[in-house]
Amino acid sequence: MNTKLNINFAGIKLKNPVLTASGTFGYGYELADLIPLEKLGAIITKTITLEPRLGNPQPRIAEVESGMLNAIGLQNIGVKNFIEKPLENLKKTGVPIIVSIAGKCGKDYAEIVKILNGFKEIAAVELNLSCPNLKKKIICHDVSLTKDIIKRVKKISKVPIIVKLSPLITDISELALSAQNCGADAVTLANTYPAMAIDIETFKPKLSTIKGGLSGPCVKSMSIRCVYDAYQKIKIPILGCGGIMTWQDAVEFMLAGASAVSVGTASLISPKNLIKIIDGLENFLSVKKIKSIKEISGAMKR
Amino acid sequence: MRRDTVCKIISNKQAGKFFFEMKAEWISAAKICAPGQFFMINIPGVFLRRPMGVHKIEKKTISFLYKVAGKGTGILSQMKKGKIEILGPLGNGYDLNIGSKTPVLIAGGTGIASLYCLAAAIKKKKGILFYGARSRKDLICLDKFRKLGWRVFISTEDGSKGYKGFVTEMFEKDLALRFREKENFSSYYIYVCGPSPMMNAAIKIARHYSLSGCVSLEEKMACGVGNCQGCSVLIDGQNKMVCKDGPVFYINQNL
Repeated sequence: MNTKLNINFAGIKLKNPVLTASGTFGYGYELADLIPLEKLGAIITKTITLEPRLGNPQPRIAEVESGMLNAIGLQNIGVKNFIEKPLENLKKTGVPIIVSIAGKCGKDYAEIVKILNGFKEIAAVELNLSCPNLKKKIICHDVSLTKDIIKRVKKISKVPIIVKLSPLITDISELALSAQNCGADAVTLANTYPAMAIDIETFKPKLSTIKGGLSGPCVKSMSIRCVYDAYQKIKIPILGCGGIMTWQDAVEFMLAGASAVSVGTASLISPKNLIKIIDGLENFLSVKKIKSIKEISGAMKR
Repeated sequence: MRRDTVCKIISNKQAGKFFFEMKAEWISAAKICAPGQFFMINIPGVFLRRPMGVHKIEKKTISFLYKVAGKGTGILSQMKKGKIEILGPLGNGYDLNIGSKTPVLIAGGTGIASLYCLAAAIKKKKGILFYGARSRKDLICLDKFRKLGWRVFISTEDGSKGYKGFVTEMFEKDLALRFREKENFSSYYIYVCGPSPMMNAAIKIARHYSLSGCVSLEEKMACGVGNCQGCSVLIDGQNKMVCKDGPVFYINQNL
């Protein structure tokens, strides 16, 4: 077995650095007939909340130039239903499981982590502090709330905590640093970009919530900048995220400082893109005669 | 089984003033695909794949009948040969087990494309088609339905052909007349496909006259396989995904 792509991400052993991005791969097990799930580095589930959520009204999706807007609104079945069926199915895949979670306050997050603590198959928890599609403001815009959530969760969690931040912030490296100082084991940079689009025929917004989250190739360069900025300041590993469509994009994120990447929108267009990225990375290392993918993290030359 | 694959384009011909029909070679999909199911079609030059209901299923091919409505379908209409990436077949199709009931199709605009597939599948049964479009130039598939021997009632919004007004108004008038004449229409099993307002009107009418049937819903979606959750709608108080739980739902569900 080829070990060139193996990494240790915040204490989690992964066979490669390509993960699914939260909210773009369902609960993780549903596409087993379309792609070999066991090839994935890890599966990050869609975001789970304490209670089930219906999400936002239609329309929730709009295509834009080189990307898409979404306003799903964290539709999910709630943590109790999640551990009953989806988690059981997910365990069978044998792929490291990272559960994305969200709530309103530290207590909510801690409550969910307490429940997830009972399952040794869960490799890590990702705190979604950056969903742009809720009525309240984005959690990580409130620095003291952000710190409180991370500290509370870290106190009780049995697994590494990854903190997913919003790119809509003055200086993302400062926020990533405070996440690190509160005990976060890694950060995901970054979530979607708050954005909107209007139908010029009907004069109506293209999303029911007016504003939603922008993803796809059009955000890639901005997210790479987020990774680069944070890499200068923090020691914990970075999960790069934003518009990764190809293995070349993944390499670029890693050169900027990411230790691993999560792929979302590309897998919505075709789940096969996940596998193509993994295969592409492996081939890239052979061609470049690089022994391990770890060597390219933060290897941008100046 | 659904697959994400590359197919050969057999033909892609104009099929009416604003419409094209693309035929792709895909033997395994042709074998298992059912009317009402759909495919996600990759169009180079636009970002998201386009969901399209199957229009014709032949031995080795599947066909899509589509209106050129924007950039994506514009590019698609120019893809005359070569390969095309398609994911499918997806979702649940129309219920074909209707016993001795009479199939009655209510089609609005492009909805005719998937309903024709249904009519062709139950061709032994001669049904009735109520079909509405904007104007006579927008009407398609009429010859195909005549060949099947169906009774066809047409409406156009501008009155350039058939009944002037919406197809649902025409359908309601027909039912009202039968009701007054004490004609029996309880054998009707309706299938509805078209724009959302038209489908909502059709569902209302069907419920008023206690008719049963299916409706094929449409919502914007990014993936077609349940992962983006973009196409979720509330049905019977629960989230259902048009792509995965539908696109065909029963009228007696609380849509």
